[in-house]
Amino acid sequence: MTRIKRGYIAGKRRRKIRLFTSSFRGAHSRLTRTITQQKIKALVSANRDRDRKKRGFRSLWIHRINAIIGKNKKKQYNRYSNLLYNIYKGQLLLNRKIVAQMGILKGNCLRMIANEIIT
Amino acid sequence: MASAAASLSTICTSLATHCSISHHNPKTPFLHSTSFPFSRTHSLSLSFQPTLSPRLPLPPKSSDTAEALSDPQSATQLVQSPPLQPPSWEPGLFAVVMVGGRQYIVHPGRWITIQRLKGAKANDKIALHRVLLVGTDTSCYIGRPVVTNAVVYATVEEQGLDDKVIVFKYKKKKKYRRTIGHRQPNTRIRINSIMGYQNYPKVTMDDIKDEEDKDS
Repeated sequence: MTRIKRGYIAGKRRRKIRLFTSSFRGAHSRLTRTITQQKIKALVSANRDRDRKKRGFRSLWIHRINAIIGKNKKKQYNRYSNLLYNIYKGQLLLNRKIVAQMGILKGNCLRMIANEIIT
Repeated sequence: MASAAASLSTICTSLATHCSISHHNPKTPFLHSTSFPFSRTHSLSLSFQPTLSPRLPLPPKSSDTAEALSDPQSATQLVQSPPLQPPSWEPGLFAVVMVGGRQYIVHPGRWITIQRLKGAKANDKIALHRVLLVGTDTSCYIGRPVVTNAVVYATVEEQGLDDKVIVFKYKKKKKYRRTIGHRQPNTRIRINSIMGYQNYPKVTMDDIKDEEDKDS
């Protein structure tokens, strides 16, 4: 058999991976074998966290709504759970994202809504 | 969130019932002189803190560079375009509209990115009927669940694709890895106006003040 040198084939593949990992810390952006491992871990985390992101934001909105509603009124009904119960009872379709954003950007509107639907 | 197939089906149903498309006459160009692409939507594809990072517009700079070269003192004055005429609707007017299974806070004159509307071309006029809330500075029309007869008129600007997302499936120690690239199709629409909400019962700040005076 003729002798075949492997040339730069493996190097081409590893260069692309190295580009992906170029901003990682320490050996994770320098050493070839750790670079391949870190790229795999990074992509797997990205995949998993794309679903986690949705949970995280919903949780954030709920906490924000709770904080804003709690500040508003001195009455008994100053909790997120009460607000949501009344939203469902009043047949509003607003979701938590919108309610949280309105609480931050358009506070008056949220106060009006809360006043209107909380009995 | 939903798979591509599910989102398409929701778009089709939402398209049938909640949006209507009329094809715009391409002879009249759509002027963007008052373009102000400030998006207040909290899209899940944005960065970490979407409430704090609005997309700011770059002011038109073709005239500025010529000016700056000739007159170094006007380097501080950035925008040379004609002053933005404030639109003639109520101040602080906004609506919460449900499109493509998601809800957006919408202001007239600004653009948002929504799920791809099938069959819509650039410069098509669109009417969004699922208006959940209309608000101004002082008053608020709360829809239960929808503000009846309220319509949000918009124009399709562009049918594009989101940034590429690499879907990487991997099982450790089992020699299984799959790499898929995915670009979600989207549509950018510019909101023209919010109409039809005037006859709906509204809530104003005065009601709240009356109640507070009564309580305290």
